[in-house]
Amino acid sequence: MSQTLPAWSEPFAADHRAALRRLAPFDTLDRAWAFGAGDGDGVVVAIVDSGVEGDHPAVGAALRESVRIELRDDEATVVPDEPIDAVGHGTACAGIVHALAPRATILSVRVLGADNRGKGQAFAAGLEWAIGRGASVINLSLSSRSEGMYATLHELADRAYFANALLVCAANNVAVASYPSLFAAVVSVAAHDARDPEAWFYNPRPPVEFGAYGLEVDVAWKDGGRIVATGNSFAAPHIAGFAARIRAAHPDATPFEIKTILAATATPAG
Amino acid sequence: VADQPDALIPTLRAVALRVEAARRLAPATGTAVLRSIVEATAALFAAEAASIALHDPVADRLVFTVAAGEQGQGVVGLAIESSSGVAGYVFSTGQPLALSDVERDARFGRATAEETGYVPRSLIAVPLVDDEGILGVLEILDKRGDGGFDLHDIELATIFARQATVAIRSSRIERDTASLLRTVLAAADGAAGDAGTALDADAIDAIVGEASAELDGDDDDPLWALADQIARLRTADPGQLELVRELLAVLVRRAERVGLRGGRPR
Repeated sequence: MSQTLPAWSEPFAADHRAALRRLAPFDTLDRAWAFGAGDGDGVVVAIVDSGVEGDHPAVGAALRESVRIELRDDEATVVPDEPIDAVGHGTACAGIVHALAPRATILSVRVLGADNRGKGQAFAAGLEWAIGRGASVINLSLSSRSEGMYATLHELADRAYFANALLVCAANNVAVASYPSLFAAVVSVAAHDARDPEAWFYNPRPPVEFGAYGLEVDVAWKDGGRIVATGNSFAAPHIAGFAARIRAAHPDATPFEIKTILAATATPAG
Repeated sequence: VADQPDALIPTLRAVALRVEAARRLAPATGTAVLRSIVEATAALFAAEAASIALHDPVADRLVFTVAAGEQGQGVVGLAIESSSGVAGYVFSTGQPLALSDVERDARFGRATAEETGYVPRSLIAVPLVDDEGILGVLEILDKRGDGGFDLHDIELATIFARQATVAIRSSRIERDTASLLRTVLAAADGAAGDAGTALDADAIDAIVGEASAELDGDDDDPLWALADQIARLRTADPGQLELVRELLAVLVRRAERVGLRGGRPR
């Protein structure tokens, strides 16, 4: 069973979770306080991915703006985009966030092509745009393996942190290093096998500190469809959705405070 | 290097010769091993077919390289977009996938399946992955009997995929060594060019080719026959190996003396 989980997800599997048990340092915090109304009202969540299908029932009317990145001679330009998704991957993420934080608005930044892959530069340009646009939660269910992008993405992760934007990153599905999911300034997420969308676990051993619902998840897909999919890509937007709830209830919370609240209110391990 | 292009070329030629000899001595990798892996996979799963598609980074295509099972043969040689269909999904995400009702899944590329002459009902696809990244995809189609694939099957498939990945990676190391030599020779060519003795790309190929050609072709070549015998020494005990090594050392010294006197050291 644990073999079928994506990489980095092992600590969050049922038979390993006992190792996550620890003394709760913030036992006065609970989800009712953390989430408030629990609807993500007023929060802007950016989905940097393959685009978002604006008229997909799972996205509702949450999609506010769509852009894509054009690369010409290594020069990246952000241009307006149709509310479309050539793959379904971005729509899946948006659908998960919308289900958990229905009043949050969504920005779609399309950096992946129809092949579900994109240039590192487009990724960086899209992330930079999302930070500048005022998104306070940015879901990155993608990462770059390029060592050449390391410095650029590291700088952007810091910039997001200082701009009060929380980067929620899916750990890679395979056990290779990829960025920015392994940076300290981000919230890095793998998949648990608890089959409960409201469950998430905190792992005190970095780099992947959170485990969320990512095994056989029923997700939105392109052309108004749905599929059942497994992957850290679908775990990350669950944490992004919870972060949007926390942001709505505590608008001044900084990324490290949100991470702390997420850790304090995580599902008890074991 | 720039000062001694003339000395460098013979050295590289000698390296090329040794790389080729090592390649000859290595156990067969490449498609033969992959074929035996897909055959074992299909047999163990009692599946209608199994196949391996490898990523061609130049064309950015997934190329089906080997297949097992009567139903599977139509796929060999087929090159698909590296993102299309189930193989493309697994390749681009690195995430294994089991589908019990292929027709109902948006990730399934019906057109591609029809091109191969076989449209499966259920399948498993797992990435061929190691620390360096994803090399391709192993697919297993339609378990015989009425049961579909389960999670345990993905685990097993992942083990077969790991075998295939090791085989592919080791055959690539050989090929990369040859291409590395070409790169070094090209660099030496650049240095030599400054000194006015430029080699063009054809000349570089000729140097590498000539080195390999000394081992090439028929098994009657005494050197190749020797390599063959050395390969069989794998099972020898350490004492026997030491004896052979000492005998060879004597013969090599003699051959080199003959070479210095004008004979051709081979």
